Amino acid sequence: MIEIHNVSKWFGDFRVLTDVNEMIDRGRTVVICGPSGSGKSTLLRCVNGLEPYQEGEIIVDGISLSDSRTNLYSLRRKIGMVFQRFELYPHMPVLRNITLAPMKVLKKSKKEAEKKAMELLERVGIKEKVDAYPANLSGGQQQRVAIARSLAMEPSYMLFDEPTSALDPEMINEVLDVMIDLAKSGMTMIVVTHEMGFAREVADEIIFMDEGRIVERGTDEDFFKNPKSDRTKAFLSQILV
Amino acid sequence: MFDAVIRNLPFLMGGFRVTLQLTLFALAGGILLGAIVGLARISRNRWIYQPVTIYVNFLRNMPLILVIFWFYFVMPVFIGRPLNPFLSAVISFIIFEATYFGEIFRAGYQSISRDLINAAYSTGLTYTQTARYVLIPIAFRRMLPSLITQSIVTFQDTSLAFVIGLQELVRRTSIVDNLEVRSIELFSFVALVFFVFCFIGSKISHHFEEKGRQTGIL
Repeated sequence: MIEIHNVSKWFGDFRVLTDVNEMIDRGRTVVICGPSGSGKSTLLRCVNGLEPYQEGEIIVDGISLSDSRTNLYSLRRKIGMVFQRFELYPHMPVLRNITLAPMKVLKKSKKEAEKKAMELLERVGIKEKVDAYPANLSGGQQQRVAIARSLAMEPSYMLFDEPTSALDPEMINEVLDVMIDLAKSGMTMIVVTHEMGFAREVADEIIFMDEGRIVERGTDEDFFKNPKSDRTKAFLSQILV
Repeated sequence: MFDAVIRNLPFLMGGFRVTLQLTLFALAGGILLGAIVGLARISRNRWIYQPVTIYVNFLRNMPLILVIFWFYFVMPVFIGRPLNPFLSAVISFIIFEATYFGEIFRAGYQSISRDLINAAYSTGLTYTQTARYVLIPIAFRRMLPSLITQSIVTFQDTSLAFVIGLQELVRRTSIVDNLEVRSIELFSFVALVFFVFCFIGSKISHHFEEKGRQTGIL
């Protein structure tokens, strides 16, 4: 379970997050949307300790991220993350991209790590690209490899930071399909995205953020049908055209 | 005309072997230390960043010949016995060249996106693992042409070790010259040897530059 209690964060004098509260139970999928600069990505990076926060507390499976005794490196093993620009290791073929962390962090044998990698590549539908370098893959293929790389660590949670916004339109669905599959298989996910079709299909809760605050939250039905704040209405009318 | 060279070729080539050995050790140590110096130069920890920055700025504003001299004469004060010139030269070169290689690596690291590093961290890799498997190899490949250029400079600079009596190629040539008094031929020969090796090096550098441009892997 991920608990976010009254978290605030500043970049210098600029307040990027203000009193954010959220609870995410195992197996749930939460979608975060909102205009750019609203703090969505920053919140996501706080959840796996890539960014520090100055007030409040984030607790993952009972372990507080702001506790100085917490080993962030080992905590991150159970929180996978997928980035907007894929961020595959450009100097390694696909297989090595996926097996690196399981071999170095979990100390799996090469054989074991590769077997798992092949299963995951099959699951995301690009087994044939196992020996290719990232530069020779399309955006959609790279993002699916990135998802496989995260899953190879067998995480309890997955964070997605606008995973489809750097993709050409025709590649968006191949990535969303993998994510929908993952959500339905019981993975706990926090997804920053504007793909409202995805949110409708799998989100247990949708959060709308603006200027570092959670402005509105709801289950999918009432979020789309009865947005309360004017800001949410304006935002939804823009992206739902 | 080059009989003085031919007559003394084994002696001169012995000197060239020392030149190559010194280059090899200086490069291995300088590049390895440089990779770490570069990491320190982008560190957000001021206790790491500040001292290393002072070290880099100090040595980059110092003539190499002075560093070689200084190290050779100061170290015995601390360790109580004279240093072997070869060992002294190797250490001086490593600490000097590491500052130049360090700045090349720093530029390489800074070309790597913050999120690529975040991606490595988010799979549970530690700082050391991220540096070893992601940062250093990518920076090394991206900066390969600059690293080769600096390696050529290092190779040329090894001749400065003659000031502490190391019998590398230039030193031995000057010894032969004292006996034979055939400066033009002897030093032309040395110049040719250096030129050929450096020229090959610059061609290799150019090759990697082109290759990097074409493949776009990095």
